[in-house]
Amino acid sequence: MAGILKPPGAFQVTPHKVSVCILLQIYAPPGQVAVPFPFSSADHHNRFGLFLLALTKSFDDIFEPKLDDLIHQLRGIGGLVNYFLIDSLTNRLSSLLSPDDLFNFFNDTRGVLGGPDVILEADQVVLDPNSNLGMFVRRCVLAFNLLTFEGVCHLLNSIGAYYKEALSSCSPNEAPQLDDSSNDLETLSEYENMDLENFVFEKVTEEMEARQRAGGRVSFHLHAPKALVGLVEDIEVPADPKLKYGDKLREGCHYAHPPSNTLRDLDPNGGLFLRTNWQVQGFLQEQADALEKQGGSFSLNDFELMLRQLQSLAPELHRVHFLRYLNSLYHDDYFAALENLHCYFDYSAGIEGFDFVPPASVSDTLGRFEIALLCLGMMHFHFGHPKQALEVLTEAVNVSRQQSNETCLAYTLAAICNLLSETGISCTTGILGSSYSPLTRIGISLSVQQQLFVLLRGSLKRADNLKLKRLVASNHLVMAKFDLTHVQRPLVSFGPKASMKLKTSPVNVCKELRLSSQLISEFAAETSSMTTDGAFSTAWLKNLEKPMDLQVLSHESGGSRPSAFQFCAEPSPVPASVLQLVGSSYLLRATAWETYGSTSLARFNAVVHATCFPDVSSTSDTALAYLKLIQHLAVSRGYKEAFSALKIAAEKFLSVSKSRILLLKLQLLHERALHRGHLKLAQQVCDELGVLASSVTGVDMELKTEASLRNARTLLAANQFSEAAAVAHSLFCMCYKFNMQVENATVLLLLAEIHKKSGNAVLGLPYALASLSFCQSFNLDLLKASATLTLAELWLALGSNHAKRALSLIYGAFPMILGQGGLELRARAYIVEAKCYLSDPSFSVYESPDVVLDPLRQASDELQLLEYHELAAEAFYLTAIVFDKLGRLEDREEAAASFKNHILALENPQDEEDPLIDMF
Amino acid sequence: MNLKDNYRIELRAAIRQLTDRCLYAASKWAGEQLVGIEHDPAKFTPANTRFQRGSSSIRRRFRSSEVISTPIAGVSYVSTPIMEEDEIVDGDFYLLAKSYFDCREYRRAAHALRDQGGKKSVFLRCYALYLAGEKRKEEELMELEGPLGKSDIVNRELVSIERELSTFRKNGTIDPFGLYLYGLVLKEKGNGNLARTVLVESVNSYPWNWNAWLELQSLCTTVDILNSLSLNNHWMKEFFLANVYQELRMHKESLSKYDYLHGIFGFSNYIQAQIAKVQYSLREFDLVEGIFEDLLRNDPYRVEDMDMYSNVLYAKECSSALSYLAHRVFMTDKYRPESCCIIGNYYSLKGLHEKAVLYFRRALKLDRNYLSAWTLMGHEFIEMKNTPAAVDAYRHAIDINPSDYRAWYGLGQAYEMMGMPFYALHYFRKSVFFQPNDSRLWIAMAHCYQTDQLNMIDEAMKCYKRAANCNDRESIALNQLAKLNADLGRTEEAVYYYKKDLERMEDEEREGPNMVETLFFLAKYFREQKKFEEAEVYCTRLMDYTGPEKERAKSLLRGIRMEQTGAPSMDIERFPP
Repeated sequence: MAGILKPPGAFQVTPHKVSVCILLQIYAPPGQVAVPFPFSSADHHNRFGLFLLALTKSFDDIFEPKLDDLIHQLRGIGGLVNYFLIDSLTNRLSSLLSPDDLFNFFNDTRGVLGGPDVILEADQVVLDPNSNLGMFVRRCVLAFNLLTFEGVCHLLNSIGAYYKEALSSCSPNEAPQLDDSSNDLETLSEYENMDLENFVFEKVTEEMEARQRAGGRVSFHLHAPKALVGLVEDIEVPADPKLKYGDKLREGCHYAHPPSNTLRDLDPNGGLFLRTNWQVQGFLQEQADALEKQGGSFSLNDFELMLRQLQSLAPELHRVHFLRYLNSLYHDDYFAALENLHCYFDYSAGIEGFDFVPPASVSDTLGRFEIALLCLGMMHFHFGHPKQALEVLTEAVNVSRQQSNETCLAYTLAAICNLLSETGISCTTGILGSSYSPLTRIGISLSVQQQLFVLLRGSLKRADNLKLKRLVASNHLVMAKFDLTHVQRPLVSFGPKASMKLKTSPVNVCKELRLSSQLISEFAAETSSMTTDGAFSTAWLKNLEKPMDLQVLSHESGGSRPSAFQFCAEPSPVPASVLQLVGSSYLLRATAWETYGSTSLARFNAVVHATCFPDVSSTSDTALAYLKLIQHLAVSRGYKEAFSALKIAAEKFLSVSKSRILLLKLQLLHERALHRGHLKLAQQVCDELGVLASSVTGVDMELKTEASLRNARTLLAANQFSEAAAVAHSLFCMCYKFNMQVENATVLLLLAEIHKKSGNAVLGLPYALASLSFCQSFNLDLLKASATLTLAELWLALGSNHAKRALSLIYGAFPMILGQGGLELRARAYIVEAKCYLSDPSFSVYESPDVVLDPLRQASDELQLLEYHELAAEAFYLTAIVFDKLGRLEDREEAAASFKNHILALENPQDEEDPLIDMF
Repeated sequence: MNLKDNYRIELRAAIRQLTDRCLYAASKWAGEQLVGIEHDPAKFTPANTRFQRGSSSIRRRFRSSEVISTPIAGVSYVSTPIMEEDEIVDGDFYLLAKSYFDCREYRRAAHALRDQGGKKSVFLRCYALYLAGEKRKEEELMELEGPLGKSDIVNRELVSIERELSTFRKNGTIDPFGLYLYGLVLKEKGNGNLARTVLVESVNSYPWNWNAWLELQSLCTTVDILNSLSLNNHWMKEFFLANVYQELRMHKESLSKYDYLHGIFGFSNYIQAQIAKVQYSLREFDLVEGIFEDLLRNDPYRVEDMDMYSNVLYAKECSSALSYLAHRVFMTDKYRPESCCIIGNYYSLKGLHEKAVLYFRRALKLDRNYLSAWTLMGHEFIEMKNTPAAVDAYRHAIDINPSDYRAWYGLGQAYEMMGMPFYALHYFRKSVFFQPNDSRLWIAMAHCYQTDQLNMIDEAMKCYKRAANCNDRESIALNQLAKLNADLGRTEEAVYYYKKDLERMEDEEREGPNMVETLFFLAKYFREQKKFEEAEVYCTRLMDYTGPEKERAKSLLRGIRMEQTGAPSMDIERFPP
C-alpha cells in the first residue's frame, strides 16, 4: 500500500508448524500418565521435549525445514523409537485430507494444553499454557482460528505439497539405519575440526581462488538457514545438509559447474514456506554485516543471484535492495549501486529496520529520507567523489535538521568529519559555504583544518548527548587521528590569544584512543540485547543439535549423561561492531606509534589487532595489520623474511584488499631494487605505483604522495639530482597545499638528502633543519633521529673540522636509532660514526682501532642482510683502509674482496641470481 | 478483385475463426477493422452510410495528411492463404465446451474436452485451462495479499500447458493458435526469447490474431529487438509496427504508419484512437480533443482509451466536459479501471485530492498494472504533500515500466519538495534520459540546480539551453537564461536571450510581466550603449502599458531624450528659461 509499510509479519500456520504440533501431541498425549507410550524412560522423553523446544525456538528460519529434514533430525533424536515417531508423523500428515480434518486436528491439539483450572495429578504430562511449548501451541491454534476458509484451503494444499515432496525424494533403499547417525557425526566433527587456513595453505593450486571463497563462506553457512544454503549453492540439495558441507570442502570443484539447476529449486510452491518479514530481516542484517566486513570476498554474481531469488520470493522485503546496493558497492559497480540505493530508499522511505532508534516524533510517518542522503554521501565517499559526497552530506545535514532527526545529524556530522580528515580537500569554501558551522555564519572563514576541528568537537558533543556509544567511540578515533597529524592552534575567534604551543600532543591522542576503547567495557556491562533475535535463535538450534547427537551416542553406549541443559547458546555479550571499533582503535594505536617512532609499540599493537580481532574486524583492516607487521619485518630483518611473510599474507587476503597487498609488494620490491642498485627494476616498479595512484578509481592522497616520493628516490639513486629535486619540490608543494604535515617532514628530509648526495651540503642544511623542526613539532621521534643523522652527514661533508659537531649530533640520536631504527638507519649511523672518527684529526686509529672497527663491522653485517650494496661497499672500503693502516694484511684482503664483490654486484645487478624477481 | 475487398474477405474469415476459438478480444478488434474499411463510393449501400456519416469531419481533417502517406501504397504484401479448418463440423464435445467457456466455466470446458484430439479442441482446452489458472491467480492475489502489494503468486497451470504445447511444437502438430498460447505461457514464465520466436511463427502463419501481435509488441522493448524479428510482410504488420513505434516513443514513424492505415481503414475507431494517442504524446491537445469528440459521437459507449481523453480535458481544465465524460463512462461501466481513472481525474481537477486518490486506488484494484493510474496517484499525493506515499506510487509505476519518464519526473519533484535537490537530480536525470525532447523536464532539472542549496548556475544554464532547444512552450527557459546571464553580468548573452524571448512573445502574441521585464532591460541596455533610437523604440512599446510601467517608461524616455541632446540639456532642465 502506498505510503504504508506492512507491520512485521504475523505468525502463520505452515505445514512445518503442523508437523511440530503433531510431534507435540505425541510428546504430551492428553490423559497419559508419567512416561507416554513410545518412550522408554523419563530421560528419553525429556530429550525429545528438548528437541521440540529447539524446533519451536527456531521457527524463524527463512525457509522452514522440509519434511525430509525433520525426519532426518528425528532419526538422530528418537533412538530406537524413531520409526514410531516418523511413522506417526507421516501418517498423521497424510490423513489430513479435508478442511474438516484440519479443524479436528487443531481441536485435538488444544487438548495437550492444561487449562488453568485443571488439577494436576502426579506424574501427568500436561503442557503449561505459559511455557514455551504451550505458547507455541496456543499461537498455532490462534493463528488457525483466525484463518478464513480460503486460508484453510491454502494450508491444506501446502500440506499436500509438503508431504508429497518428502515422499518423492525419499528413496526406498534409504531406510533408517542405526549407523547413519554416527556417520553423520563423523562428517560433522571432521567439518568442525578442519582448520580452514591450513586447508587453504596446503593446496595452493589453480583452484585457490574458488577454494578461498568456499573457505570464506563457511562461517556464514554456520548461521545461514539450510534451505537458503540450497539456494546459494549450485549443488542439489541432498537429504542431509551436514553431509553436504563435508562434500563441499572435500571437492571444491563443485564450483566449476555452472549454475544450471538453481532456478529449478525455485518451484512455485517455495513461497508458501517463506518465513515472516521480520525473521528474514535478521538474516539479511547478518549478511549485510558479513558483506561490510569481508567486502570483495563475496562473489558478485552468486550473491546477486541469491538476492534476486529472495526478492522474487519476498517482494515486500525492501532490504534486499539494500544488500544489492552493498554488494555492488563492494564490487565497485557505481551505477548498480546508485540504482539500488535509490530503489531501496524509494521503497522503504528509510523506515525499514535501520540501526537507528526511531524517535518518538510526529515526523515518523513521513519517511526518513535524510538517512538516504547519508547513505548516498557514504557511497560517493567510497567511490572517491569527495565533492559530491560533501554536497550530499550537506543536504543531509539540512534535512535532518528540518526533520529534527538528531541521531542522523550526529552520524552525518561524523561522516563529514571522516570525509574531511581522509580525503584531501584543499578548499571548502564554496562547497561547505552554506553548511554547518557556527563560525561561517559569523562570517569568519576558516581553514579546512579548523573547520574540521570545530565539526569534530560538535559531532562528538552531539553524539555524547544522544548516547550513541559507538558513534562516540568512532568520533574519538577520528579525533585521535586529527590530534596525531595536526598542531593545535587556538581558533582565531575564541577569546584572547592563548599561548601558542606549536606541537602535536601525544597525550591527547592517547586520551582519545583510551576513551574510544572504553566502549567495550560499557557494552560488556550491558546484556546481549543488541543481537538480532533471528540470528540468535538460528545459532541456538545449531548449537543444540550438536550436543544432541553426542548424547545419543553416549546414551547408547551406556556412559554418563551430561545434562542437556548446559548447552544454552551464549553469544558473545559484546556486539561485533563494537569489537570491530575497538580493533580499529588498536590499529590506529599502531599507526600512532609508528608516527611517533616507537616501532616496538607499533608492532605490538598490530600484533594485538591481528591476533585478537581477525574474526570481527573487516578483512581490509586485518590486511592492514598484517601489512604493518610485514613492513616491520622488512625494515628490521631484511627482505627474505618479509617476502615469505608477504606470500602468506597474499594468500590469506587473496581477493579482498588486493590493492593494499599489491602496494606493499611494490614498495618492498622498490626498496630492495634501490638497495641492490637495480635501477631499471626500481623504475619499473615506480611506474607501476604511479598507475596505482592514478585517479581512475578516485584520489588517494596517501598513495599519490607515496608514488611521487618513490619516484624522487629512484631519480636520486640514478644521480639525476635536478630532476629528483624538482619532483620532491612539487611533492612538497602538494603536501603543503593539502596540509599533510607529516609527509612534509619526510619530503624535506629527502630534499636534504638530494642536496647532500649532489655534493651541495650547504644547500642541504636548511632543508635538514626544516625537517627537524617539523619533526619536533609533530613529535616524530624516529624521523627526527634520521634527520639528525642526515644533518650530521651534511656537517661532515662540509669538512673535517666539523667532525666533532657531527659526532655529538650522532650521539644524541643514537638511543633512538639503536632502539627503534631499522637495519638501514642503524648501519648508516654506524658508518657516519666511523667516518667522523676517521676524519677527526685528533683521533688516532692505532690507539683505539675498535672504536672504528666495531661500528663498521656492525654496519657491514646489517647491510649484508639488507643487500644494500652501495653502503656495504663503503663499509668494507673503510674497514679495508683501517686494516691497511693497522697493518693487518689478511683482514685487509678479506675486506677488500668483500668490497669488490659488492661493487661488482652493484654494477651488474641483472647478473645476479634473483629468486624474488618473479614476484614482480 | 479489389485490395479492400480482399481485406474484407480475410477479416470476415478471421472473425469466424477467432470466435470459434474464443479469442474474443482479437475477434472484436478484427470486427472493428472490418467495418472500418472505407467503401468504394461506387458501390456503397445505404446500410453502410449510417455508420460512416459521423466521422466525416475527422476524415476531412486527415485528408490533408493522406497525401504524405500514399507512397507506402507501392508495397506489395504477401498474401497468406486463409486457414482451412481441419474439422469442418465441430464435434459435440467441442460445442459443449465452447458453451461452458462462454459461460466462463473454464475448468468445466477443459474437462469436457479432455479426450478430444483435434487441433481446435486442443487449443480450446489449453486456453480454458490457462484462463482458469489466471482466474485462480487473481483470486489468490486477493486472498493472500493486499490487492496493491506485490506478490509472487503465479498461474499454476502454466507448467502443464507449457509441457504439452512444447511437445506438440516438437512434433509439428501445432497450429498458429497453439503457438500463440505457447508464446503467452513462455512470456509469463519469463522466457522472453523463445516466446518471441514462437509468437513470430504464430503471426507469420496466421496474421489476423491481434492478440498475438500485442503479445509480441510487449516483448519488443528496444528497436534492436524489433529489427531482429523476421516477420512476413503482411498488411497486419503495419498495424503492429505502428503500435510498436508508439510504444518505443518513435512518434513520427508511428503517426505516418497510422496515417497510411487510415487511408484504407478510414472508419476504424481503433485507428482514430491510436492517432489520438500519438498526438497526445506529441502534446497536440486540441487535435486530440477533436478526435475524441468524433469518436464518442460514433461510438458513444466506448470506454477504452477514454482515460486519455480525460487527461486532455484535465490539461485544458475543462471541468464540465470532464464531468460529462465521467458521468457517461460511469453509466456505461463503472467497474472499468478507465472509468475510475476518469473520475479520479475529475476530482483532482476539482481539487478534491483525497477523493481522487480513492478512485485511482479503485482503478488499481481493478488492474494493478495500470501504469497511468499509479503515476496519477503519485501526482495526487504530491498535491496532498504526502511525499512518501507519492514516492511509493511512482516507484510502482517504474516497476511496471522502467522507462516511464513521468514517474521519474514525479520522483524528482517529490524529493525536491522534501528539500533534497541533490538527491532529486538523479531522478530528473533519469527522466530526461527517457524523454530528452520535453522542455518541462529540462526546466525542472534546471530549477533543481538553481535552488539555493545547490546554486549550480552553470549546470542550470545548460539545462535551460536544452529546454530552449526543444520547443519550450511557456518560454520559461529563454527568460531564465536571459535573467541568469544578466545576474552573472554577461550582458551580451543576456541581450541575446532577451531579444530571442521577445521575438517569441511577439510571434505568439503574448503579453505579461515577462514582456515588461524584457522591454525594460533592453531599453536600459541600449541607453547605456548610447543606441538611443533602439532604446526609444522599446520605451515607446512600454508606453502602451498602463500603471507604474507607463510612468517608469516615461521617465526612462525622458532620460534618453536628455542624453540624446547632450549634457547641456541637463542644465536646461535644471534651470528652465
